[in-house]
Amino acid sequence: MRSAVALILLLLCTLARAEGQLDLSVDLRLIAADGRTSFLDGGLGKLRFDEDHDGLQIGRLRAAWNQPIGELLNLRIDASLWRFSDYNAIDLTEAYLEFRPYPSGGWRSRVRIGAFYAPISLEHRASGWTNPYLISSSAINTWVGEELRTIGAEYSLEWLGTRSGHDFDVGLVAAAYGYNDPAGVLVASRGWALHDRQTTLFGKVGESGDGFVPGRVLFEEIDNRYGYYLGAHLRYLDRVELRYMRYDNRADPERFDASINDFAWLTCFDSIGLRVETAGGWTFISQWLDGETSIEPETGYEEWKFSSTFVLLSKALGRHRISARADWFNVDHVRTAGTFLFQESGDAWTIGYSYERDRHWTLGIEMLQVESDVTGRTFIGEPTRADERQLQLKLAYSL
Amino acid sequence: MIAFAAGAAGAAGTSLAVNVTGSDGKPLAGAVVLLHGPPGSKPPPPATLIIDQVGQIFAPKLSVIPVGSSVTFPNSDKVSHQVYSFSPAKRFQLPLYRGTPYAPTVFDRAGIVTLGCNIHDDMIAYVVVTDADWSGRTAPDGSWNASGLPDGDFRVEIWHPRMREATVMIERTLKLEAPHSGTLNVQLTHSLRPEKLGRKPRSWSDY
Repeated sequence: MRSAVALILLLLCTLARAEGQLDLSVDLRLIAADGRTSFLDGGLGKLRFDEDHDGLQIGRLRAAWNQPIGELLNLRIDASLWRFSDYNAIDLTEAYLEFRPYPSGGWRSRVRIGAFYAPISLEHRASGWTNPYLISSSAINTWVGEELRTIGAEYSLEWLGTRSGHDFDVGLVAAAYGYNDPAGVLVASRGWALHDRQTTLFGKVGESGDGFVPGRVLFEEIDNRYGYYLGAHLRYLDRVELRYMRYDNRADPERFDASINDFAWLTCFDSIGLRVETAGGWTFISQWLDGETSIEPETGYEEWKFSSTFVLLSKALGRHRISARADWFNVDHVRTAGTFLFQESGDAWTIGYSYERDRHWTLGIEMLQVESDVTGRTFIGEPTRADERQLQLKLAYSL
Repeated sequence: MIAFAAGAAGAAGTSLAVNVTGSDGKPLAGAVVLLHGPPGSKPPPPATLIIDQVGQIFAPKLSVIPVGSSVTFPNSDKVSHQVYSFSPAKRFQLPLYRGTPYAPTVFDRAGIVTLGCNIHDDMIAYVVVTDADWSGRTAPDGSWNASGLPDGDFRVEIWHPRMREATVMIERTLKLEAPHSGTLNVQLTHSLRPEKLGRKPRSWSDY
């Protein structure tokens, strides 16, 4: 016991001496919303803040630690609080060790081990997996933040052509992971959503709800089968980035875990993203994601197909930025043993303005309108069609 | 930038004007011009140079140095950098550091060396290491001039970091004989790569 304490003290002293970097940030919101009861409170509303969550709200409280270990390793830990009443109020969104050897002969390898985001989103470019264009993420990347986390190991290899007189960089990425068996349950049972809340590693979605979306645990190993993803990217100078990914969690859809009251959802998808930036400060981003998820309870096989697309256009004017995005999404319940089909279709329109005063203060405002038709709403006595609007004012301070 | 315009032949002799234009015919500023003289010309001695890192940018972004020169890479930022090059002319790496903990790096082979930071992908700089007898960069009007040149056969190499010609450098040969001065007009055949976009806000990182 004493030696363990001594070891921890020694480790802390080493860490304190080494040049780690602590990021702290506070993000507060002023909300005006007329949405249905949020999925966070057991409803089938698409937004994080519904009409019962007007006024001053916490956007995110974040503490992150970046710690080089030796020459080629880096430890990154990201902790956040999204709402005091969450299942785990303070919890981790990412925690991983990165191995980054020096490039050699134009090739660069990277290895990540731990819990982290797969390289899918082209929106989330700021630290803490934050979207610097708009406050709320697209439907696709909201889903990535909700249901996906690589809890395992990832290897990426990149050819740095732009560093040897060429116009292109090309890269491949491959990962094997576990603990993502429930991925798919939200998009199948609730549908798509649009917000900035990321599911924490030990947290839940639908924390305080016992309605249609009960508290869902997303990061759990149920069938002891690893999943994988394979991806590729092509970058033209610093102007254009094209990404592709094939994701398959290889879950066994017959397996049920009573401890979290959920199945292993067999979820596969393809994702394509394109980002173009111009010298005039314009950014164009579009992503497309198309996949399917299935479970096989004793009553029979259930399968859903889901897809979404968005286009985002943003213009930076010095420290000011205006952005607009259109999202389209749908879920098709293509096979069921029962009689009810969970279907959804919808679109969302988002416009926003942000101002980065300096490296500490950021101000943002965003108007989001989402129209959706969700058959599941009949179960909670609501009309299937909902038009929800949410106006957010964001004030953030980073230390 | 270091210009070695003063040649071994002194003030007498002939002169050369090099004019570089882009494929659009407009003057190309900042192009590196390397001039190799006839036998007997003496390249300048090795130099010492500082390439600083300020605000996650190398300063200067492009240097031209004689073979054998040594470069110090201080890091004036609060964050650590990890400088590397995998260019054949000089492969090296400076492990994670702040301040100036390392001895100068000696560049002992001619060639173009691309510098990067293994942590901050945005950072890029070039060191042109040359055994040329005279060297410099074109002015805003696309011109570079050398005087006091001896008579004989000369070889001119031209390079720009955004150039995408068929060869790494454009090469020309010419003969100079006093009292005539020489003029060399070089036009690129391909358009330049677009300039790098402005640096991203500090809070941005790669995901």
